[in-house]
Amino acid sequence: MRRIAGAALIAAAALAQATWAPHLEVGGAFPNLVLLGAVAVTWTVGARSGMVWACAGGVLLDLTGSGPIGPHALALLAGVYVIGFWTRSMERPNGVYVALTAAVSTVLYSAVLVLAGGLLGFSVPRPESMVWLAFAAAVYNALLMPPALEVFRRIQALSRWEALPN
Amino acid sequence: MHGARSQSRSTGLFLVLCAAMLVLAMLSQQPWAAGARSAAKSALAPGEVAMTSVATQVGRMTSVFGDVSTLRAENARLRSADEALRRQVVELNAAAKENASLRQALAFQKSSGHHTVAAEVIGAGPDGFSRTMEVDRGTADGVRPGMVVVTGAGLLGRVREAGPHAAIVQTLADPQSRVSVYLSTSSLQGTLSGGPTSLQLELQHTLGVVASNGEWALTSGVGGAFPRGLVVGELASLTRRDAAATDVAQVAWVNEPSSLSFVLVITDFQPS
Repeated sequence: MRRIAGAALIAAAALAQATWAPHLEVGGAFPNLVLLGAVAVTWTVGARSGMVWACAGGVLLDLTGSGPIGPHALALLAGVYVIGFWTRSMERPNGVYVALTAAVSTVLYSAVLVLAGGLLGFSVPRPESMVWLAFAAAVYNALLMPPALEVFRRIQALSRWEALPN
Repeated sequence: MHGARSQSRSTGLFLVLCAAMLVLAMLSQQPWAAGARSAAKSALAPGEVAMTSVATQVGRMTSVFGDVSTLRAENARLRSADEALRRQVVELNAAAKENASLRQALAFQKSSGHHTVAAEVIGAGPDGFSRTMEVDRGTADGVRPGMVVVTGAGLLGRVREAGPHAAIVQTLADPQSRVSVYLSTSSLQGTLSGGPTSLQLELQHTLGVVASNGEWALTSGVGGAFPRGLVVGELASLTRRDAAATDVAQVAWVNEPSSLSFVLVITDFQPS
């Protein structure tokens, strides 16, 4: 039951990302709800569960966009894996740390996504656009991360979500 | 000890998942997998339709509580009408500069001779780097990859992938997008490329001819990817580069993808 609820939550986040999130665009960037979810899972449940969320959510994002299936999952995995080191060493994080992990994860996600696109033969954005978009998205996600984590904690409390063994 | 083991297990899972995703990306990119990939993407379309519908319903409900939304809708309608009228003026001006045979061809391309399929926008690209949108028409409706997509205001992009009941449109704002255009007054030609905030135009130098702000950019038909004469945007700023073979200009696109609900897919133009 909890797995079904988790899967439904991932699917809802990915669909909202492809339908609602672009309407929240500021300066060319918009929030990444799947990334916020993956970071929230990493903080609350654990790094391994965060990676599973990132992988599943990334594949769904790939299915809503153009091109091959896999780059978004790869990019999200990289972002979540790195912040996993951070989350393991902190018992009770404050809002600033939580926001910073979202920002770092967004920058890594953006870099890997563009790199993967380039390796798979797709042209990449102009460097100045790329840097600006990554920066703007990092700030955007960082601002949204603390409230998103709070929402996820409440959902987790309702469903008593269990972690994969770390 | 426990921390090191936990870290090692996470690294192991990370490597396995990365390898799986790399293999999936490479396999799904193969030409023989295009059908399965498009079908998988089409499977998500009903979910996107439902989410878009929910967003529309919420928008309708909130609009009841104030005049602002009504005024915005009216403003959007008037803006749309204004864009259509401006497009007509630009197209008429451009057509007037053509010789008889070109005018005949242009008239054919622009007239109602084009068969179009109206499609509803049901989703957008999931990240800020690729500027795509998903529409609710696919191969079952005659939509094929490569087909040109327009709105009442002008050119929007082209179909990138098509599943049975949905298609992904690569808009002009996508970094991979390239369109050959000419300017309505100076007739200078150039290549337009996508960008997140504005479209960038590289204009070829022509002795004695200078582009000016406010000129309209229309598709030139060079390369055969788009029909000639579709309105793309207005020249917003120009940077002259005397040492280079081209000048760089920013073009204000006639379309605002985030506010689009419906688009038209031209089904009878075959890109060469």
